Amino acid sequence: MNTRTRKKLGHIAFVCVITLLAALYIYPIYLMVINSMKPFKEVLTNVLGLPTKLALENYAYVIEKMDYFRLFLNNVVITIIGIAGIVVFSSMAAYVLDRRQTKCTRLIHTLIITPMLIPFQTIMITLLKFMNTIHLNGTTWGLGIQYWGFGIPMATFIYFNFMKSIPREIDESAMIDSATTFQTYGMIIFPLLKTVTATVVVLDVMWIWNDFLLPLLMVNSSPSSKTLVLAAYNFVGSLNTKWHYALAAMVLAVLPSVVVFILLQRYIVEGVVAGAVKG
Amino acid sequence: MKKLFSLMLAAAMLLMLAAAPAMADGAEINMFISSPEYADAVNELIAAYKEVAPDVTINYETTQNDYPTLLKTRINAGMTPDIFSTTSGKEIGDYIEYSYNFAAEPAAAAMDPAVTNMMKYGDGEVHGFALKGNYFGVVYNKAIFEEVGIEFPKTLNEFEKACEAIAAAGYQPVTTGFAEWWVFKHVAQHFMSAACEDPAAMIAAFQAGEAHIKDYPVLYDNFFRFIDLAVKYGDSKPLETDLAGEDSALGVGKAAMMLGQGAWVEADLLAIDDTLQIGFAGYPVTDDPAQSQVIGGSDQALRINKDSANLQAVLDFVNWWYTSEYGQSWFCDVAGVIPPVSGAKVADMQIIKQGAEHVAAEGSGALAICYSSDSFNQAMGEAIQAYIGGSLTKDECCAQIEAKWVELDGSGV
Amino acid sequence: MKRKAMSRTERKALADTLVFTLPAVVMVILAMYIPFVMSGYYSLTEWNGISRNPVFIGLENFKTIFSSGSPEFIRALIFTFKYSALFILFSNVLALALAVALTQRFRLANFLRGVFFVPYIMSMTIVGFIWKFIFTQGFEKLYEITGWGFWNYSWLGDGGLAFYSLVLVGVWQSLGFYIVLYIAGLQAIPTDILEAASIDGASAGKRFFSVVLPMLGPSITTCIFMSLTNSLKVFDIILALTKGGPGGATYSATLDIYREAFQNNNYGLGSAKAIVFFVIVLVLTQVVLRFFESREVEQ
Repeated sequence: MNTRTRKKLGHIAFVCVITLLAALYIYPIYLMVINSMKPFKEVLTNVLGLPTKLALENYAYVIEKMDYFRLFLNNVVITIIGIAGIVVFSSMAAYVLDRRQTKCTRLIHTLIITPMLIPFQTIMITLLKFMNTIHLNGTTWGLGIQYWGFGIPMATFIYFNFMKSIPREIDESAMIDSATTFQTYGMIIFPLLKTVTATVVVLDVMWIWNDFLLPLLMVNSSPSSKTLVLAAYNFVGSLNTKWHYALAAMVLAVLPSVVVFILLQRYIVEGVVAGAVKG
Repeated sequence: MKKLFSLMLAAAMLLMLAAAPAMADGAEINMFISSPEYADAVNELIAAYKEVAPDVTINYETTQNDYPTLLKTRINAGMTPDIFSTTSGKEIGDYIEYSYNFAAEPAAAAMDPAVTNMMKYGDGEVHGFALKGNYFGVVYNKAIFEEVGIEFPKTLNEFEKACEAIAAAGYQPVTTGFAEWWVFKHVAQHFMSAACEDPAAMIAAFQAGEAHIKDYPVLYDNFFRFIDLAVKYGDSKPLETDLAGEDSALGVGKAAMMLGQGAWVEADLLAIDDTLQIGFAGYPVTDDPAQSQVIGGSDQALRINKDSANLQAVLDFVNWWYTSEYGQSWFCDVAGVIPPVSGAKVADMQIIKQGAEHVAAEGSGALAICYSSDSFNQAMGEAIQAYIGGSLTKDECCAQIEAKWVELDGSGV
Repeated sequence: MKRKAMSRTERKALADTLVFTLPAVVMVILAMYIPFVMSGYYSLTEWNGISRNPVFIGLENFKTIFSSGSPEFIRALIFTFKYSALFILFSNVLALALAVALTQRFRLANFLRGVFFVPYIMSMTIVGFIWKFIFTQGFEKLYEITGWGFWNYSWLGDGGLAFYSLVLVGVWQSLGFYIVLYIAGLQAIPTDILEAASIDGASAGKRFFSVVLPMLGPSITTCIFMSLTNSLKVFDIILALTKGGPGGATYSATLDIYREAFQNNNYGLGSAKAIVFFVIVLVLTQVVLRFFESREVEQ
């Protein structure tokens, strides 16, 4: 066997192993999907098996009960507002925090990222009280704005750590061309952060789209502001849970964010490949 | 930055404008209660009331996950709902500052006395009503008992014999649901109810730290014997089986008896097997068959906010619900639950019918879970789980339960 | 010492810093600091979380925590530290390995990244429901097939084993998050550096440890820090799988705080515990962060 075939075989083995691993990894999700297509009886008595007959009526029922398309729009509004603020404000902050390392910026850095350590459950009571005072509860856009505050610590932290890999010479040369800080950031730095931004967007879309507790506190009371996940939880009862509906509803609630993930993934990869070709 | 602030300011003003016109005409009732499994039925009730009182708007909101936490959060933000839910009994007092005493209303008069009992506070005040009544007892598979040729056991000795016989016939005698903390309170209350003449006073003594489990043989000996038997003849992994597991084991005809449940499991069991012959009876707690009783009542309370902006509208709605012909038959015909009002039609369901017969013939045990708070009930469940898992001995378990009673339900809190 | 008047450029730099960070700072203060401080006030009161009038009792709650030793809180803390240690180890090692594998060029790579990420977005109630069935019915079936005894252990019903089950499901659920972060880090490494190393004839393994790993410094810091804070705050996964059971064996610090504040109706004491826990976490994360930052390669 020559080295080339050995290499090729190695590659095939590697792909097989990782695919197998992925199959094992996804197994619980597979269970969730197939059980969402079973009648209640089979969910409780035969979780592991395939459905004897596809109960797609679960989906029809759930789409109608959840008022799916209306709530879908709510989710879109909340997520877009949230993401836009998080990305802009965090990358801006991270940029100066990395480039101006002074006592002042170090203090601000600590101030911004420390809230990551606060467990959400410990501020729930006072959070609603306060958001009620400043009128940010009860609406989709208000919730979107709240996500700025909850998302900025982590996003700033991620941006800050990746900002180090962008050489300072780049913005120094821009400064020589007498660009303002804002121009430098907007025209030169931000475009270079594409991969990180895509990462932050992916992580935050997944989080905001599928978040439960904060929307429960803020927008559960009216169908005009409710989110998909909240509606899906209504199939979970105190002692009786309609698991077949709950599973179908959860699949439907989550699905759009998975699609976004797959689309963005491609974008991240393309960005990198393009860069490599150019280099 | 300026832009951001002006944006936020503008947005806040928009919101206030949007909120204003809603108050223009008619009363609004904000109803925020747990148990989303009754959402469809409650929506029908609200639609029916719309015809009676067209200018009253009822905003109905429901959730199960984190309901108590969310309720506290709302109350603290000054957004107390007009109708909200708590548990009955002990917790009636916790929310007393916010709840309206409607003892003088027709709704209170219409309520089943067994339900009213758990809604009382102080001297004849009534602070809650119920969405449904309930029965607690052992749910069993009649066909298996017939096949084995035995009656449902009414004493502990009979219970042990029945388990042996059922096991010998190749069935699993009991399924326990011991992974859920609340299963233990549902089981234990039957023993508390039988432990002495006045269970309420006994539990009050426990809460004051003046009583000991050892002094009550029904608790110290019988209850633990029952738990041991349930583990021995129960699921192969007792602390892993939850309600869904119980439903499955009984529904497919694998297990003969189901512990810690009541009227609410019937629909799910029938969804698994619609020919299932469901039996329902009290727990065998002592050597006296008369002490094996079903327990009836309501462990959930709906409360009326006494500071509601539309108190009269809320009361009108509740009175209509509890006294009108539609309202009374709603419990049975629409929601399919045990009516919490006296004299209403009873649904044609196996557990509800047998529960009603048992209570009529033998009386009901005391709904002892409501003499303690759910904080305690959960701690008790965890202590018994630890006993089953072997990390606590029986005496350690009892000591821990006694300590929790004082710590969580004692006069300090 | 007399301070020099700021030069124009210095003033401009300061103004830039403020303008660029102000939106972030304001939003964080509104959403997190103000509610946290408001909540902190209750740690000085005796309050059940319901009544209108919390009673001010000074530092009494803190005295209770430190004098009584509060065994449940200590137990929950120890549980949390043990959980965090295993969680950080497994999630980082596995995520890095998978990230390296998934940045190789092969046809399925893109799709597989999605596969590993999906569990991260699943609702916890559903994750709990599905895994409970896997631990019961799934393992039972595997036991029937293989006959290996450990499949038949009570993985959720035994306090000791339930701990490992939680680590397993916890890592499974959030691994995708760290994979994404590591992938972003790997892709930020300039390809010419890697090429240079391979021209030198460095073998794949050697190249990884001597070239790639040091370049990944910032990613490693990020992921260690994130996994540390997330695992110290572990809550949802426990609520979904064991609710702190069996027999109270799996209470984490946040779950204990939640129980104290909301279940036991001791919001005051719960808040005090939350503050003590916050300080512990703050110290711990600072130490870890300093350590890893000091080891990063300056680029």
